[in-house]
Amino acid sequence: MILDYRNTLLVILSLCSCQVTANLFPESFDEELVLRPERDGRLVSRFAFTTVLDGAYPRDPETLGLEDHAQHYTLFPLALGQLLREYAITELHLTLNAGKWNYENWGYPEEFGVGTGAELWAWMGDAGPMSVDERWTGLRNALAGLFCASLGSLDDQRTTSPTLTFRPEGHLPQHNYSYQLRHATLPSEHVCTENLTPFLKLLPCKSLSGIASLLNPHRLFDADWHGLGIHVRYVRDTGVEVRLSFQAVFDPVRYSSDKKRGTITFDWSLHSLFDRTIDRSCPVAQSSKIFIRASNEDSAKLSPEPTTSDKHSVIFDVLKTPKPLDIAMTWPDEPVFQYPLSPPPSALTHLAIQRTLTGPNQSRGHLTVSITNNEAVPIKAGYLETMPWLLQFYLHSLKVTSNGTPREDLVSIVSYVPPVPHARPALLQALISLPANSTVVLTMDVVKPFLRYTEHPPDAQRGWDLPPAVFIPFGVDGEDLGARTGSNHSGNPRHDGRLHRLYSPTLLVDLATPDFSMPYNVIIMSCTLIALIFGSVFNLLTRKFVIVSLRPETPKVVE
Amino acid sequence: MADVGNALVFDPAKLTFESIWTRRKIVASYWIAILLATPLWWKTTSIDRLSLPGSRVRSLGSRELLFPVDIAIATPAAHSRLSTDLLTSLQPALSEQGLSVTVDVDETIPSTGPGKYRISSRLHESKWVLQDRELCTGDLATLPANQLSDVLMRLLTPYTSWSSSEAHRVVKYSPRLRLAFTLLNEDASSGAAAISWELENSVQNYLNVTLDRFLVLHNFTIESQVQFHAPLAFQPRTLDVDGQTVHGLTQEDLTVFVNSAEWTLSSSVSNDPVLHFVLFIPSAEHSPLYILDQNGVLTSSDAFILPQWGGIVLLNNPPYHLTTSMLHNPFSTFRHQLLSLLGVPGLPPGVEYDGSEPFSDWQLDALVRHRAQENFVNSRETLNSIVALVKQIDNMPVGRDVRDDVQGALTALNNALATARSSSMTALKYSSEALTLSSRAFFNPGMLALLYFPAEHKYAVYAPLFAAVVAPLVAAILREVMVWRKARREAAAATAATTRGTQPAQRQRVD
Repeated sequence: MILDYRNTLLVILSLCSCQVTANLFPESFDEELVLRPERDGRLVSRFAFTTVLDGAYPRDPETLGLEDHAQHYTLFPLALGQLLREYAITELHLTLNAGKWNYENWGYPEEFGVGTGAELWAWMGDAGPMSVDERWTGLRNALAGLFCASLGSLDDQRTTSPTLTFRPEGHLPQHNYSYQLRHATLPSEHVCTENLTPFLKLLPCKSLSGIASLLNPHRLFDADWHGLGIHVRYVRDTGVEVRLSFQAVFDPVRYSSDKKRGTITFDWSLHSLFDRTIDRSCPVAQSSKIFIRASNEDSAKLSPEPTTSDKHSVIFDVLKTPKPLDIAMTWPDEPVFQYPLSPPPSALTHLAIQRTLTGPNQSRGHLTVSITNNEAVPIKAGYLETMPWLLQFYLHSLKVTSNGTPREDLVSIVSYVPPVPHARPALLQALISLPANSTVVLTMDVVKPFLRYTEHPPDAQRGWDLPPAVFIPFGVDGEDLGARTGSNHSGNPRHDGRLHRLYSPTLLVDLATPDFSMPYNVIIMSCTLIALIFGSVFNLLTRKFVIVSLRPETPKVVE
Repeated sequence: MADVGNALVFDPAKLTFESIWTRRKIVASYWIAILLATPLWWKTTSIDRLSLPGSRVRSLGSRELLFPVDIAIATPAAHSRLSTDLLTSLQPALSEQGLSVTVDVDETIPSTGPGKYRISSRLHESKWVLQDRELCTGDLATLPANQLSDVLMRLLTPYTSWSSSEAHRVVKYSPRLRLAFTLLNEDASSGAAAISWELENSVQNYLNVTLDRFLVLHNFTIESQVQFHAPLAFQPRTLDVDGQTVHGLTQEDLTVFVNSAEWTLSSSVSNDPVLHFVLFIPSAEHSPLYILDQNGVLTSSDAFILPQWGGIVLLNNPPYHLTTSMLHNPFSTFRHQLLSLLGVPGLPPGVEYDGSEPFSDWQLDALVRHRAQENFVNSRETLNSIVALVKQIDNMPVGRDVRDDVQGALTALNNALATARSSSMTALKYSSEALTLSSRAFFNPGMLALLYFPAEHKYAVYAPLFAAVVAPLVAAILREVMVWRKARREAAAATAATTRGTQPAQRQRVD
């Protein structure tokens, strides 16, 4: 009885919240969870928490010197709002990921930013009293403080402006100044609980109610792949939108073997994945939905009954379903999970990418990038390398082959900013034409520079992580290709005009590492030498020469 | 033959480069080079320590800001006895507090202003009413001078009667303050929740007048947020009152009320101090929630202040949307909390304020003087600490920016001293500038730069070179000294030999 009363109350509550428009800008909050079983037994999950500040504008950088208007938020995270206004950021994307996204088996992620480590990019208007670079520095430090991550290391040695691949995902308000992009990656940064805690604090319902209550750090960081993202953009006619997302790839097969010895199944439930269920809905969520992408031919059984379903997925409306909600998916026809040994019948992504760094020594090497077009039509692809000066390209040695034959005409370099040692990374943006169903291989000689003694990290022998290369498949005419045909993971409605972005795995480069006691050895060695030379020269200068006669005194003079 | 004999008796000591003086010159030139290089070495390895104006800091000594206070008694001249009585009783006590008092009797209506007050007998009853900078009372002729001086003392220097807890409550001075209003639901999904509030209107209606009053002291930035889940870190006590279950916060609970681990109240963008004002909505499980006194009995109060942090108001069973009129009570509490957090003194007992402003000019003037004096003392002490610290730690570098800040702070302090006589506002401005500059100098990160590079480290690197180089040099000097002494002894012996027999006593002495 009490539970029923509570539920009705909650429904009323959530209805109320949609209409509350007391503040300057009406705010709305939507949450969703997408669960996507994959053929290799993994389960891709993506949480998205979207807060929209209706009618709000990003701050005009020309007003930066002036007093800002008071900030009053109901649902929008105040800490983030202050930061955006302080540095007049129009669009901001921060991702912190751990693991390597397996495009071959998992297809495109729901959130495209899956590069290993930390990646931060922002679009800012270039006007006003503070320069774009000053604001970029401030933003990076403020975010580092907010998320307890070493984003402060995304300094000038990592910052580029790759406008070909990182186009704004929202709109840029029309002004009489231009917009600039700043982008930096730090592949060695690892996401962990200390980053998730401040992330959860930005949510209106923390991790205490609604879909966010599933965010259990013990399980999330146990997942095969996990990463969080903060995406702020301005959408014309809507306002400023903040999307906080968390993606994780679970292995239900592993969890099932933990519990029931002998039977390894693909079955999962919210409780088995997250060790939690949804006990109550978030009172301020306008919508709260769980999408399960399952194809119709699948023999899976779902419990409880989904609220609705559409072409691609079955949908649970958390606000309407009875609590506690524990969605379970079982495959009664498949009591034991069989790992598929054959490759997928049709590729899940437009492109398949491999990037390797070869070379036996610590001064030179070869970078090989092989790109496979999985489509039956030719594709153009944008190729981006933001390489720290730790690896320097010999661009003249670039060789392009397609299915074994040299095809220099396939690559056109859009821009190349050479690196400045100890100061600036290289930026290589190129367009690659990929013939239908073929593999294009790019090889290039690279040189590994010497680092200064103080530039080595604490674990210098481990090597340096190099940021992933980024690819964007365009249509032949440069348009977005849209969804991958022939795949059942298509048609994500959230992708609204965003270009697909593929990240290559990161590389590890082994640079010449000194013996770190060497400076002292050198000091001692040169001191010894100097002392030796000084001693002998000084001795020679001040030595007193005397004749020592060995014969007896005054020999007889023989006439 | 003679040639051969010459060659055999050739003496190398006769060669020019073998002469004893050449050798001595060589040794001496090495030592001169070393001695000349020593200052250069000292200069290049020493830490950059600019000299601080220590004597100027010391000369500030125990100087205090001195504000003039003019009191005009608007009564007939016959009561000039009152003014002399008043002056003799006020003068010693107030001059201790940095006020120099003059009392005049003036029947005309003199202008009032900061530091210029008037006492009039416009009322027909013996009570105290403040109007602007005027203290009105009944007939002054029948009034004992000590009663009047007591009231004046409490109006002009209200802070002397403050308890330490009252003084501790006031936030540190800063020209910029952020006011963060938070509507904090303990658990919005439990049913008892306020989802939104008309904050901007409420601030406009209930607080703006007060904030404008403070503009001479502080600039305010206002921000607000709503939180839907803010669990308490403890369990409130459950009580049974008149058959109803209520929940109570004990006095100990109040001190740990703010759960900073789980409530995101502060942000990191600016360094301005923040005053938090929290409207706390207890969850359905914990409501109604009240505050208990020391004995565990319910009190009528629904609000409390956390010193220097802000204020909290409890609101039980609110509607989902809080309109401006519903926020009247919480915001008048917030206003009181703001006044006491910013250090506005209370009025003496029996004194009323009759005016449109949130508090009287007397209180504002006292606050401005108090803040100026406080800043002055703090800044002076900070400067003393910097000088003492730099003197104490030899390895501490003192850069140009630190020196400039210290000098700037000194100039501002002297300006404050000079302007205190004419305008307390200007003195406040200068003292606040001095405080900012002196704290910036004190916390300058450059002063820590070389603190962690110990001298031992340096000598460990130098020793292998210096010890090896200096050893032959010292040996050469010793050898030269020995040669010289030997030569002198031989010369003396030779002289003695020539004079032997004639002066045996002298020979003995030479030996």
